[in-house]
Amino acid sequence: MRTVAYYKGCLASLSAKELDTSTQALAPMVGLELIELEAVTCCGAGDIHEAEPDYYLHLNARILAYAEATGADTLMTICNVCTLNLRQANHALQNDADLLARVNENLVTVGAPPYTGGVEVVHFLWLISAGEGYELLLGTAHKGLKGLKVAPFYGCQILRPSKLLGFEDPDKPESLERIIRACGGEPIDYPAKIKCCGFPIIQAREDVALAELIQPIEQAKEAGADAMVTPCPLCHLSLDAWQSKLREQTGKDFQMPILHLSQLVGVAAGLDASELKFKRHVVSVAPVTDKLSV
Amino acid sequence: MQVALKIWRYDAVKGERALREYEIDAPEEATLLDCLDIVKDQRDGSLAYRKSCRMMICGSCGMRMDGGAVLACKVRMYEIAQAGHIPVISAMGNLPIVKDLVVDMGPFWGKIRAVQPWLEPGYADPGEKENVVPQERADAIHKESLCIMCGCCVSECNSMESNPDFLGPAALAKGFRFVGDVRDQATVERLQSYSEEHGIWDCTRCYFCNERCPKGVDPRDAIAKLGAEAMSHGIDSDMGAKHAKWFVTSAKTTGWLRETELVPKTQGIAKSLKEVKFAMGLVKHGKVPPPFPPHVAKHVSEARALYDLVKEQEVDGADGIVQTEKALGHLEHAADGGEAAQRGPYGEGSFAKPFLPGEEPTA
Repeated sequence: MRTVAYYKGCLASLSAKELDTSTQALAPMVGLELIELEAVTCCGAGDIHEAEPDYYLHLNARILAYAEATGADTLMTICNVCTLNLRQANHALQNDADLLARVNENLVTVGAPPYTGGVEVVHFLWLISAGEGYELLLGTAHKGLKGLKVAPFYGCQILRPSKLLGFEDPDKPESLERIIRACGGEPIDYPAKIKCCGFPIIQAREDVALAELIQPIEQAKEAGADAMVTPCPLCHLSLDAWQSKLREQTGKDFQMPILHLSQLVGVAAGLDASELKFKRHVVSVAPVTDKLSV
Repeated sequence: MQVALKIWRYDAVKGERALREYEIDAPEEATLLDCLDIVKDQRDGSLAYRKSCRMMICGSCGMRMDGGAVLACKVRMYEIAQAGHIPVISAMGNLPIVKDLVVDMGPFWGKIRAVQPWLEPGYADPGEKENVVPQERADAIHKESLCIMCGCCVSECNSMESNPDFLGPAALAKGFRFVGDVRDQATVERLQSYSEEHGIWDCTRCYFCNERCPKGVDPRDAIAKLGAEAMSHGIDSDMGAKHAKWFVTSAKTTGWLRETELVPKTQGIAKSLKEVKFAMGLVKHGKVPPPFPPHVAKHVSEARALYDLVKEQEVDGADGIVQTEKALGHLEHAADGGEAAQRGPYGEGSFAKPFLPGEEPTA
């Protein structure tokens, strides 16, 4: 068992609870013991980075400090946006002693632990698509996806900027494809899988966001996908919940089931319906569950 | 060495596109631009592309290799040729093609002009002395000053692809170069203008601009700096700014995002009421978590105290981002490494398509 600090972020506590329950159920099956962080806050989702960047840095330093205090050397994330925000802050703190000293003095003043720079921020996707996690995944996904055609959707902030993320080629990623294959599914290729889902501006600039959102869903549908999978709950929310807006706007009713990464692997690993929580999806996942007789 | 290239040709007179393959003999140190020169010299004199300095300063030779924008003079071909890979070369995206690899930069320059890229001097006349800008204030706009206006960032901007009116990464980065200049007096006017529709808050944060920039400008970070400056100047009436503000309020009150209140706080009550039908569809599936009782983080008082403490220290606006750049500068930019040059082909249509003259970009 590899012990990691677990940062679930905002959405997995709120509108995407199904992501949290399926991740927690799956973790021991892929060799991960999760220590859930409780005294932590939102990473700022890029919004605090833009509104109050110095506060963003401190909030993320505080999350990293609490992760380090668990004794784990890895902080596991399950959201692209959390991953980028935390890695960006972590890199700044690890490589600038003066900056780290000022931030630590502030952390200690408010009663939080200081941070020494000893934690790496790693997304769940990276832990199960390579190395030991991947080996365990191969055994765990024994029930298989029976050739289900799955379109991987990466989203942006797990690929770019690659100098901060750097797990794989940002233009030709293959971690999701590797996982889909390991679970007995067939990965579907389509150009927009590395593009933006529009979520960051879906409230402030809905028309622009929807013009972005339609591309991956439409392309995946045309390429014959039974479902799409994403490692990001924000991508999940726009792909799943905003499909009805695409129908209103364009008349196209895609009915494309959208799975969280932990749900896709969870289905293959035989997780219980109470852990997968497919009823919490706006677009029905029935075509997938029927095909796999889950 | 033997180098093979596939080049998307475009004949503006006939309106025809064709993918042509060329094989040439090139010296081992040849760049993509050198190879294009050889193709033009030895194979087909009608091949059109822009070039000037050949040394990453003029910004003329922006084009796509395997779907991603590059400066042709920066890409070395040796490893690509050794790997037996035949890259596909095409014109940049989000700009109309004139011929072959040449795009019409008109829309690009129009947006650069729109941010008024000149100094509006506002410093006191220093008389006989020089007006010396302190080093740290010059450092604050160092990255944005590196821009050579090649258009690589614009080529794959996902927001601009869906909204051609978006000012875009190059123009906004240029805007920050002046907002951050201590000699400029038009800061507030600039921030107001850049905060309008099609400005700062249209950015979808896809980070393609940071990924593609061959000079390390990191335009997305410049846009975040503009957002931070606008908000610290109280210019925060755009829905994008209100959205960002709610995250701050959430963090210092409950610690976690107050998700359900985000929509009315961003869009206002009147607009959000129009969304009731849509929201009810989400309620059924638990996508609208009840705001009461609030989801409060343990020890949230620390996050509140941290906010007050940080505000007292006055690392305000863009300086909050600039302070991290010394550390982030240690990162090797992906586009500088051999790995980026070895990227495999991703296939046609991987990115925003360039649009042809006469065709309107689809919004």
